[in-house]
Amino acid sequence: MTLEAKSAAISVDHLSKTYPVSFLRLKKLLRRKFKPPVEALRNISFTINEGEIFGLIGQNGAGKTTLTKIIATLVQPTTGNVTVKGHDTVKDDQRVRRNVGLSGAEERSFYWRLTTEQNLLFFARLHGFSGRAAKSRISELFELLELQELATRRFAELSTGNKQRLSVARAMLAQPPVLLLDEPTRSLDPIAAARMRSTIKSLAQANNATIFLTSHNLNEVEELCDRVAIISKGEIRALDTPRNLRAAHTEEERVTIVFGGLGLADSEQALARSFRPELFVFEPSSRADETSVKFVRDDHDQLLDRVLRTLQQSGALIKSVESEKATLLDVLERYEEADND
Amino acid sequence: MILFFRRIWAFLARDWRLELSYRMQFFLRVLSILIVVTTLFFISKIFTGFADPRFSQWRDPLAAWLTGLAVLNYFMTGFSSLANAIRQEQVQGTLESVLMTPISVPTVIVASSAWDFVQATFFSSLYLFFGWLFFDVHYRGSFLLALMFLVLTTVVLSCLGILSASFAMVFKRGDPFGIFLGTGSALFSGVFFPTQLINQYAGSGVASISRALPPTYGLDGIRRVLIEGQSLRDVQQPLIMLLIFLIVLLPFSLWVFGRAVRKAKREGSLIQY
Repeated sequence: MTLEAKSAAISVDHLSKTYPVSFLRLKKLLRRKFKPPVEALRNISFTINEGEIFGLIGQNGAGKTTLTKIIATLVQPTTGNVTVKGHDTVKDDQRVRRNVGLSGAEERSFYWRLTTEQNLLFFARLHGFSGRAAKSRISELFELLELQELATRRFAELSTGNKQRLSVARAMLAQPPVLLLDEPTRSLDPIAAARMRSTIKSLAQANNATIFLTSHNLNEVEELCDRVAIISKGEIRALDTPRNLRAAHTEEERVTIVFGGLGLADSEQALARSFRPELFVFEPSSRADETSVKFVRDDHDQLLDRVLRTLQQSGALIKSVESEKATLLDVLERYEEADND
Repeated sequence: MILFFRRIWAFLARDWRLELSYRMQFFLRVLSILIVVTTLFFISKIFTGFADPRFSQWRDPLAAWLTGLAVLNYFMTGFSSLANAIRQEQVQGTLESVLMTPISVPTVIVASSAWDFVQATFFSSLYLFFGWLFFDVHYRGSFLLALMFLVLTTVVLSCLGILSASFAMVFKRGDPFGIFLGTGSALFSGVFFPTQLINQYAGSGVASISRALPPTYGLDGIRRVLIEGQSLRDVQQPLIMLLIFLIVLLPFSLWVFGRAVRKAKREGSLIQY
């Protein structure tokens, strides 16, 4: 086993998945119409390291759920293979499931007439916990995810956000080294979502857990993930750190400088002496004595410094400087546009 | 092994708690059994003194009906609970989360049908208990031997249940085994009347259906023991027939089931219903 393979928590190797047409031969024989097979994943390869938080983003139907389910052993690949902690998801599926916890976005995955504690107790026993060990672990998780007050409430009575937190608690029951989190902050209020993100970070840092996360919240992915893969039409289109993905997309940033002490016309003249005027967009600021100027610069050029100096030398008092780099949304949109063209 | 029983216990505890949340259903079912037993008692009085001496198991029709219904209830559980277990988890949406635990699909099926067997044991016993308590029905012979027949027939029917579960896994709905066994057993296995009458009135061709059904042998064996008081030596014929069914059906059903699970995983339809 190579060093790389040892440190790989999840390894995906030339994975393809085509959902076959059921009873194709029979349908052909009977000359019945059938939809063509769905090619959900096409020749995907990547590795996720131990302790890494890995994000997967893409549109609905891009292949995120299929990939997650293959890692979770719930769906078998057509070709290629996936290993989790060195165990093949097809040949050694039970061992894989010992190493993986899945928190899905499906509310119906619990027993609605049982309480939250009874639900977790059932799943803990399936993981092999004794009654006492299960109760102790459940109480730890309730504390961690602030679910103590809901222990005796029926699942049906929980809010959507609390159902989501219970799903994460269930995924963490057996302290698996790999967690698959499908939209973990979906339906959570902003405070609960921030707490969940902090929990996810601490799991990776303190427990060296590997986290595979799919989300539509791109800010969350940027905040949490060490690396992000963009999936579109079943193919991984890009895979890198959020910073590098943004940089690969564009190194430009949009800058807004708000200043006082210099009127709109004076500032236009001052900058026109040193720069091409079409670079700038001037706007009166919300406050009467302030003006704002917007321009686009390259990550590595000196434009910002030079503009600031020019304004200051002309008597402007700088109030604020804001820069806005390309977001993951821009990156994702670019790939989707390319796919649609 | 401890893990296996811990998982069975998990399912039993879960289903017990779910059952507790529907208390009324339990009491209504007990009441319906009492009503059925009482009704059969009155019907049996029509036949008092008319029993054909050829049908030794039917001298007291009430005893024959009660053993027939009790055993049929148990057999049907053995047959249908396995497929129902899968179907119910699929419909509830919980199958995926159960399968995400380190538990094999066969264990899920066996464990999630455990509660059905507990219930069936209770309700089947009620038929016999109400008959004994209220209507003076007496059983003789070895209860242990009767239990052996019950277990053996249930295992044989569970093999058909595994085939049925395989069918549910692939086709989701529509189960040919259920139709064949459900309606077939009540009519052809001698639950309500002696199977010899089929031969007499419908001919040997139709009577052969009766001989192709495992419940016929199970029911015959249990009645021979409980009603006629026969010993192990006397009941060898139905016992051997059940063993032959078991030897053929067990490996075949497990093979079919393995293929069905693989097909469902390939198609990604394991949790669809």
